[in-house]
Amino acid sequence: MANVTARPAPLSRAGAGRFTRQERLAYTMLAPVLGTILVIVTYPFLLAVLQSLQDSAGREFVGPSNYVNALANPLLYEALGATGTYAALVMPTEILLGLGLALLVHRTVRSSSVRALLFVLATIPLVLPPIAVGVIARLIYAPGYGVLNYLLIGAGIVRDEINWLGQPATAMPAVASVDVWQWTPFVYLVLFSGLLTVPREEIEAAQVDGASGWQQFWHIELNYLRPLLLLIVFFRLADVLRVFDHVFVLTGGGPGNTTQLLSLYLYRIEFKYFDSGQAAALAVLVLVGVSIAYSLVTRALPVERR
Amino acid sequence: MRPRRSWRAVLAIPVFAVIAILYAFPLYWLLVTSLKSKAELYQTTLTLFPEAPTFQPYVSVLVERGLWVLLRNSVVVCGLSVLVALVLGLLITYPITRLEVSPRVRVGILNWALSLRFLPPIAVVVPYFGVVRTLGLYDQPQALVLIYSLLNLPFTIWMLKGFLSEIPREIEEAAFTDGAGRWTAFRLVLLPLAWPGLFAAAVIVFTFTWSEFLFALILTSTPNAQTFPVGVQGLVTQFEVIWNDMAAAGTIALALPLVLMVLARRYVVAGLTFGVVREK
Repeated sequence: MANVTARPAPLSRAGAGRFTRQERLAYTMLAPVLGTILVIVTYPFLLAVLQSLQDSAGREFVGPSNYVNALANPLLYEALGATGTYAALVMPTEILLGLGLALLVHRTVRSSSVRALLFVLATIPLVLPPIAVGVIARLIYAPGYGVLNYLLIGAGIVRDEINWLGQPATAMPAVASVDVWQWTPFVYLVLFSGLLTVPREEIEAAQVDGASGWQQFWHIELNYLRPLLLLIVFFRLADVLRVFDHVFVLTGGGPGNTTQLLSLYLYRIEFKYFDSGQAAALAVLVLVGVSIAYSLVTRALPVERR
Repeated sequence: MRPRRSWRAVLAIPVFAVIAILYAFPLYWLLVTSLKSKAELYQTTLTLFPEAPTFQPYVSVLVERGLWVLLRNSVVVCGLSVLVALVLGLLITYPITRLEVSPRVRVGILNWALSLRFLPPIAVVVPYFGVVRTLGLYDQPQALVLIYSLLNLPFTIWMLKGFLSEIPREIEEAAFTDGAGRWTAFRLVLLPLAWPGLFAAAVIVFTFTWSEFLFALILTSTPNAQTFPVGVQGLVTQFEVIWNDMAAAGTIALALPLVLMVLARRYVVAGLTFGVVREK
């Protein structure tokens, strides 16, 4: 075979060499781009591994002590707990509300122009910068100017101002509510599009058999929504790990550490405590953890990889 | 049948009304606050409608506080990131959709791009911070352009792959038999057909980049490279918050994505879900 590949390209017919002309062109296009990206993506990771094994000045090797410190820090577990609480507040709420809305619209709104309008409106929150959404939330929850207290007092529901962002019991729900506001429409959009794929005959057959709306959902529609629900859970879980912006401007992780999610915690270790060794160790741990989790779930992701 | 549908409709109307208020009011409150004068802010009671609407807060934010520089940085950084992401995206998706490559390469690239979607940026930003500083790119817009193009590459690859694979190969092959080379066929046949998809991808990448805050916060420190979200954050976390200025900055940050969204609305959800959800 070696002598065949060595022959000049123009004469070799497709399939005669190791690669066809098309393949050769494809790989000459792909190789430099992917090679560069690979370097840009992996080089910092290797540096992070190196950094995690050195002291914070980057002078001496300290072995695994950064990892020991990172894992022994009780703040890490508080941050993981806060992230868990956030996910536990946000995900079921968004999925149930989004699902309920999708079903409600699918069953009550028949006009296709109204459906199209709702589609457009629901995409709006998804493209708003989280930092700007944080500003809005600030205008609603903040003491002094926050309009929520004003409305609640005006309606006679509460008598004194509530410091929504300043006390542990309300700070986390307030921060989570912003996420629910911005991302429930995503769940709605995905599930509504899923409902559109349910064959009408199946629904009609069930209705002829006298199935209730609930049975119709549980036995027919849910089967079509299941892969999408899975997709939503994966994407939203990945997003919970990225949440930073709106929490940063609303509470900055406080009061105390109640809303200090993992991302804010890592930020604090590196850029407030300047413990770059520990921060690098944490980054490596998070990257490895996410990679493992990802490789476990990736096969279940219902995306079309063709 | 009839009664069932009607109770649902009766339930639906108040539900929609509540949702409409929950979404419209916060946006309204942002806009209204941004139009209030300072004097009105310090009144003892809140006003739900501005008494004397003024654009003063916008002037204050953009001119007096100088945030127009950050706005300009944002536009430049986002524009360049879009360009780089699209070129890289095409260099990757053209071969895997229009040329005969082994399916393993194709699936491998798509899977790899998808996996990048799940990386938490905070874990990436720590190592990048070190690299950017050693390269002397700290507080330089180039660093942001580089990172934003990479961050958006997964979306770009998946969106372009979707658009390109919908264009039948026969159209290009017809150009080949007419004697066109690959580059000519790409430029004169494929590119015009893929244009709406490229445009949608560009709009979405621009919007996402426009919103990005974490990397900009960490990798910049002066108006030389700071982007607009960093400026907005500065107004929120300062010691005494000036509500109308903060709201004006927030409104500016919201406005551009809103406008762009109208142009690419059909593709936003497809982009966010890696093509799982397509508008019917």
